[in-house]
Amino acid sequence: MSSGVAVNPECLDQYNALKLKKASKYIIFKINDDNTEIVVEKKSDSQNYEDFLNDLPETACRWAVYDLEFEKEGAGKRNKICFFSWSPDDAKIKAKMVFASSKDALRRSLVGIATEIQGTDSSEVAYEVVLDKASRGA
Amino acid sequence: MVNYGGDEVSALVIDIGTSSVRAGYAGDDTPKAVIPTTFGYHKAPLDPDSAMPDVADPTQPRPGKFAKMYMGQYGPSVWRDGMEVSNPLNEGLIHDFEPVSALMRHAIVDVMRCNPSEHPILVTEPAWNTPANRERMAEIMFEEFQVPAFYIANTGVLNAFAAGKGSALVIDVGQTMASVTPIVDGFVLRKGLVYSTLPKLVHAHAHHMLAAPNPQRRGIDLYPHQLISNKMPVEMGAPPRFTLREDRVKGTTASWRAWYEAREVDEWIQSVAGVLEQGWNDQVAASRPPRQYEFPTGYNSWFAQERFLVGEQLFHHSSQMLASNPTLPKHIPALITESLRACDPELRQVLVGNVVLTGGGSLFAGFGDRLSAELARSFPHVKIHSPGNPVERRYGGWLGGSVLGSLGTFHQLWISKEEWMEHGKMIVGQRCK
Repeated sequence: MSSGVAVNPECLDQYNALKLKKASKYIIFKINDDNTEIVVEKKSDSQNYEDFLNDLPETACRWAVYDLEFEKEGAGKRNKICFFSWSPDDAKIKAKMVFASSKDALRRSLVGIATEIQGTDSSEVAYEVVLDKASRGA
Repeated sequence: MVNYGGDEVSALVIDIGTSSVRAGYAGDDTPKAVIPTTFGYHKAPLDPDSAMPDVADPTQPRPGKFAKMYMGQYGPSVWRDGMEVSNPLNEGLIHDFEPVSALMRHAIVDVMRCNPSEHPILVTEPAWNTPANRERMAEIMFEEFQVPAFYIANTGVLNAFAAGKGSALVIDVGQTMASVTPIVDGFVLRKGLVYSTLPKLVHAHAHHMLAAPNPQRRGIDLYPHQLISNKMPVEMGAPPRFTLREDRVKGTTASWRAWYEAREVDEWIQSVAGVLEQGWNDQVAASRPPRQYEFPTGYNSWFAQERFLVGEQLFHHSSQMLASNPTLPKHIPALITESLRACDPELRQVLVGNVVLTGGGSLFAGFGDRLSAELARSFPHVKIHSPGNPVERRYGGWLGGSVLGSLGTFHQLWISKEEWMEHGKMIVGQRCK
């Protein structure tokens, strides 16, 4: 079941730039105000994971892709693109519902995601948790 | 023809449960009409003349099984001479559509003062609904209510979405059914869907405990207040002093009496019963403060340990009970285990990290804490999403439908009347997945 919310072509362009050209470190997506389209809210090339966490609002839902780079023991550097569904408990029911039912549209158009993370509070998107999840499949 | 392309869809949402039918406008945060699903009726007289309907006169109401039905606020709860009560749902599924369409008409037309032919209607269904049932529902909507558009959505998915999760383990405890539904990316994992009539067992246990005499007290009379003409205040634990309304006792049917006794028991469960957070322990149960409760007869007493025994049935069945009754409905931990076992091992961690607790039965005092204690024993990372607001818990499925139906972008999913005319029943299964 889906809500029928469309994905703005810019989302895909920005994602491909992140994936292929490493043009940015992370991208944050949101739904526009009249709930019709998924748009890019922000892209950044900050290397600090904290900056990324600060860009996830406390009472509103977002999606994000983060290009996680880490060292695998004895196997060199790895790059994994992580997809985040951020839906804090304090967000409005309507927002949570629309985001949950529209996720599939965005998720399916982004090819090459390695790990998916569902987050409702900061402990679930902490660096260690995400790293653990991403490195498990590496 | 209504244009339902814009954001102003003004759709209606109907959620039918065993205890109540919830109906309201999409976009609202509470249903406008909440009426009991149980209805009262007088049997149609078996008169040979009236049994032959006059086909030539369409203005005459179609003769059904019921001569007269009593629904809604002044429906089954009002005492009437010879009134029977009945419930069209069995194990969460509709088994009798005739009263259901009457109940929906009552909710939409009489309570909400709405014309159903002007609004698209979204109906919810439990995950174990049958294809025949949903097609019948579509047929009623299009042919009888003449709705311009229709959709049927799964309560498990709606509850998961309402909690903001695409993947979740939805634990829904209603009046007669407890179910565990794994949802992955917005779809129900059929093989992991399990349900049982556990709430019924808990209710029966409480009923037996109250009505049967024990060493501390005699059995409690569960007369409803409608049958009591007067009562006197009595000391705690003393036999009640009340007079029955003899004029009413004779005309009271067994079905009405049973239904109202069940309500008295439910009332007692909701105000007194609880469940211990850390599993059964005699000392802890004894150390909890007792609670007082007064029945309609005037009998009142303190309930101490026994109020926790009732809740314990949700999570644990003694081996003696299991041995004596092989068809005992499964308790909550068993349902969860069975559901997870049917899922892919990689999914299990994701699911227990996203447990969504919903349904009126889950408001049982201490339920959420006990559930998290039970789950924490077997899984390292458990997170339970349980809305604190009782409305969000009881009407979770309706709320999800309300949000979905209010989205302008949802319009491509509605089954329109034209599509129904062209494709017929087939389209329901194709569109509503």
